Amino acid sequence: MSDQQQSFSLPQLAVLLVIGFLVLRWILWPSDRNAQRPPGWSNTRTRGVNPAHVEQIAQMFPQLSRRDIIWDLQRNGGNVGETTERVLSGRGLEVPPPTFQPPLAAPSPQAASANPSDPKLPAQPDLITRYNLASKLATAPEDAQSDLGQKSGWSHNKEERQRLLQKRREEMILAARRRLEAKG
Amino acid sequence: MSHTSVAAKRLFIEYRALTTDALDGIAAGPVSEDDLFLWEALIQGPGGTPFEGGVFPAELRFPKDYPLAPPQMRFTCEIWHPNVYPNGNVCISILHAPGEDPNHYEKAEERWSPIQSVEKILISVMSMLAEPNDESPANVDAARMWRERRGEYERVVRESVRRSLGL
Repeated sequence: MSDQQQSFSLPQLAVLLVIGFLVLRWILWPSDRNAQRPPGWSNTRTRGVNPAHVEQIAQMFPQLSRRDIIWDLQRNGGNVGETTERVLSGRGLEVPPPTFQPPLAAPSPQAASANPSDPKLPAQPDLITRYNLASKLATAPEDAQSDLGQKSGWSHNKEERQRLLQKRREEMILAARRRLEAKG
Repeated sequence: MSHTSVAAKRLFIEYRALTTDALDGIAAGPVSEDDLFLWEALIQGPGGTPFEGGVFPAELRFPKDYPLAPPQMRFTCEIWHPNVYPNGNVCISILHAPGEDPNHYEKAEERWSPIQSVEKILISVMSMLAEPNDESPANVDAARMWRERRGEYERVVRESVRRSLGL
């Protein structure tokens, strides 16, 4: 009885081993093939083309293929503006030759927010100090109020424009300070 | 035409529009017209929020290929808000170029594109002050306080508003 059982289980064991081997091979084989594809792709050159630029244009003009965009950028030396103008002018992008096979990687999760880890903003002086308004705070707000009327003016003189903008900024701060002060 | 001159021209046009049709509660323009790529904006705190009564200065730095790429915006004052990094950088979708989505939830139409403008950015920032977006906390502590201890959050903001005006 026990003999019979053992002779039965030996072929079973063999079958199991074969199946196990096949399964392992099945698991390993496709990953082998996957691993072989990318090197061939990434080796193709896309000199001077920034993937972020490709992405930028692709988002602006979803109808364009990334391959055409890369081709155009590569030919004009990575000039986003030129490619954009070309599309906008209706000339369209040239169709690249079939041999042109750039790596069409998914947009890399760039260090887009490289800013978060910057040091904390140092403590700032208050706005009255920063904009040097202490003396103006003391003067009566009457004449300042009358100037508010021209706040939306646009002067053709550069210096005058600069002065008006500066005045608008100062008025905004002074008015805020007076309101808050009145509130107590 | 080079990038820089296209960008400078566009920035000048936006500056003029923001001056002749000034937005309520916003004063924005180049720090000096010698460099149109660096602006300063003053934003009034929206009414009915703890920021009410305050004035918040921010700088906008424009890239040479503006408006293809968005500017960076940074408050140059203390501001306790879930969507403003402790260093003052503003984190809202309109300031993110289409390719980059650090939070992986932003809709393409909310993000930067050449049809957006400084005006739209400033309006978005004003409404951000009124309604923080809990999905993208840039200041984790402020976000937690806003979520869990709203009263304390509002008190901290009000105090910083008074301090910023020298009171």
